[in-house]
Amino acid sequence: MSEALITTDKAGVDVSGCFDMATGILDRRIFTDEEIYQEELKKIFGRAWNFVCHESQIPNPGDFMMNYIGEDEVIVVRDRQQSINVLLNSCPHRGNTVCRAELGNTRSFFCSYHGWNYDLDGRLIGMPGEDDFYRNNIDKKDWGLTPAAKVENYRGFCFATLDPEAPPLEEYLGWVGKVGIDFLLAEGDIEFLDGIHKNRLQCNWKLAVDNLYDWYHVKVSHGSAIKIGILDGALAAPDNQMVILGEYGHGIGGPGISEEEQARYDARMASGEGEPQWYDRYAEKRTSPETREMLGPVGRRSFGHPNIFPNLWVAQTNQVCLRIPRGPYETELWWFNFRRKGMSEDEQKFSAFMQNHMFGPAGVLEQDDGENWSHSTRGAKGTFSKTLPLNFSMGNKADQVSQDPSGQSCIETVINEHAQRWTYQSWQDWMAAENWPELIANHSQPPTGEV
Amino acid sequence: MSAYQDLSLQERMLLKFEAEEFLYYEGGLLDSRRFDEWLNLLADDIHYWMPLRRTTQAKEVEKEFTVPGGMALFDDDKTILTMRIQRLAIGRAWAEDPPSRTRRLISNVRIDSIDEDELTVHSNFKLYRTRLNSEEDSWIGRREDTLRRSEGGFLLCRRHLFLEQTVIMSQNLSSLF
Ligand code: FES
Ligand SMILES: [Fe+2]
Repeated sequence: MSEALITTDKAGVDVSGCFDMATGILDRRIFTDEEIYQEELKKIFGRAWNFVCHESQIPNPGDFMMNYIGEDEVIVVRDRQQSINVLLNSCPHRGNTVCRAELGNTRSFFCSYHGWNYDLDGRLIGMPGEDDFYRNNIDKKDWGLTPAAKVENYRGFCFATLDPEAPPLEEYLGWVGKVGIDFLLAEGDIEFLDGIHKNRLQCNWKLAVDNLYDWYHVKVSHGSAIKIGILDGALAAPDNQMVILGEYGHGIGGPGISEEEQARYDARMASGEGEPQWYDRYAEKRTSPETREMLGPVGRRSFGHPNIFPNLWVAQTNQVCLRIPRGPYETELWWFNFRRKGMSEDEQKFSAFMQNHMFGPAGVLEQDDGENWSHSTRGAKGTFSKTLPLNFSMGNKADQVSQDPSGQSCIETVINEHAQRWTYQSWQDWMAAENWPELIANHSQPPTGEV
Repeated sequence: MSAYQDLSLQERMLLKFEAEEFLYYEGGLLDSRRFDEWLNLLADDIHYWMPLRRTTQAKEVEKEFTVPGGMALFDDDKTILTMRIQRLAIGRAWAEDPPSRTRRLISNVRIDSIDEDELTVHSNFKLYRTRLNSEEDSWIGRREDTLRRSEGGFLLCRRHLFLEQTVIMSQNLSSLF
C-alpha cells in the first residue's frame, strides 16, 4: 500500500499572486473561493503531516477515535501489536463508512452494508460469500481499508500523512514545530482528558489559524472577558512579543521575555532580592534545567502560540486545537485537553477550569472570536468586497531576526503580524508546489535579517 | 428518599404546579434578558453543568457523556454564571452584541424526587435563537433541575443539561439554558 493516494491535477488554480510578502497585502478570495478550497484539500491537507491523536487517547488494542484529514474521515486505531493505524473510513466495496462512532473500542471494523470485515490494521479478514458468491475469485489482500501513507509520533503526538513522499515527521516539524509541541511537555509528561470540545463555525479555516498569532485582537475582541477579570489584559497580551518562524509554515507568536529579563529573573530567584516583575508569571513556568534544555535558549523565553502547519494550535492551557475545514465557509474547532501527570489536585482543577471556560463554544473568550472570524469570512463573499485587498502589514520591515548560536532564532518586538505573513507566504508555497520534492526544493526559508 | 410517589394525587398536582410556575418564570426572565433577576433565583451553591456528548457504538453507549468533574461545555458555579451575565452588560461581548433573541419552550415537566426541602424536576427544552437578520439556531435537550425551598420561594441549586447534539452546530453557546 505504498502507491500515492493523491493525484494532483497539473492544471490547478494559480494562487501565486494572492499574497504579497513585500507589502503584506492578501487577496481575500482565498477565504471563499471553492476551487482554491478544493486545491487546499489536495495540496495542503493531502500532503501535510496532520495531527490525528495523542497516544494516551487510545491506550488499549482496539481503542479507536475518528478524525479528519482535510475532509476525509479517518479511523485512528491501536492494533494488537500496539501500533497506531490511520485508516480511511471507506469500505472499498461500495465506499460505505465502516466506523460511525467518534470513539470506542472494537475487535474489528465490520461494514454494515454487506459485511466485509477489517482487522485493526485495515486488512480485509472476512466477507460473506467469499466462496459461494465470489467463487474465491477475489484476493482479500488487495481490498483492505486504505492506510495513511505514513504515521509517526513525536513525543506522544501522532501525525499521519497521505503522501508517501512526505519527509519524516521530525524533519517536517523542524525545531520550531518540535519546540511548539514541547511547550506542552515542558513541565512533565501529559495525558489526554476524556472529551473533545467540538463546534462548527461559519468561517474559513485559515482565518481561525491566522487568529492564533493575533495578539492585536485580544483587548478588543476579548474586552468583556478582560473587564470581568477572567482574563488579565496586560498579562494576556503584553507588548513584549516574540515571533519564531519555521520551515513549511510552522510558527510561534506571542508573549516573550528578553534574555535580560530572563537573567534578571534568575538572579532574583538565586539571591531572593529585588521586586517582582510582570514577566514572573511566565518565567516561573520554565525553571528546571531539563525544561530549559528541552526548549533551548530561545524557545524557553517564548510563551506564544505555536501553530503546527497547517492547522494545529498548541495552546498554553494544556490544550491543542484542530481547525478542521468543512467547506470554504465552515470550520470545526476540536479542543483536545490534557493534564500533566503529577499535577496536584488544585493545579488540575485550575487547568480544567481554564479548559472548560476559556475556549470551546461556551468559552468566554472563544464565543466572541467565532463571531469575528465568521463575519470576516462573510467580508470575503461580496461580489465587490471580495475584490478588495486585506492588510497584513503590521510591523513589516520594522524588525530584525536575531540568530542564536544554538541555531534557534526569533524576532523580539511589539505586537505585529509577522507570523500571519509567514503563514500566508508558506500557504502560497504549498499551493504552488506540485508535489513534495517541489515543495522541499522551493519553499520559503524562514527569514533572516530585516523582516 | 423519593417520598413523591407516596403523596396523594392532589399533593402531587400542587407540587408539579409549583415547579412549573418556577421553571416558566425563570425561563421567561432569560428570554426577556432580565438576567440580574434570573441570578437572584440561583442558590449560592448552584452547579450548572452541560457535559460533552459523543456518538458511540450501541454497545458502548455508556461512554456517550463525559462525567462530572471532567471536560464539559458548562461546568459553572454562581461566580462564573455571574461573570457570564456581567460580561453582557459591560460591552465588547461580541457574541451577544447585538443581542440574540431567544425563546424557550419547557415541557414534559416531571417531578423525579423530593428530599426534605429539595425537589428534583426533569424537563425537556427547546431553545430557539436568532441573531442579526439571518442566523438561526435551535437546541433541544433535557434538564435535571433541583429546586430548593427558601423564604422567597424556590432557588435553583442544580441544573444539569443534556443536549441532543454531539458536535455543537452553532457558532457558540452564548445563551443560557
Ligand atoms: S460497502 Fe462495505 S461491504 Fe459492501
Ligand atoms: Fe481570541
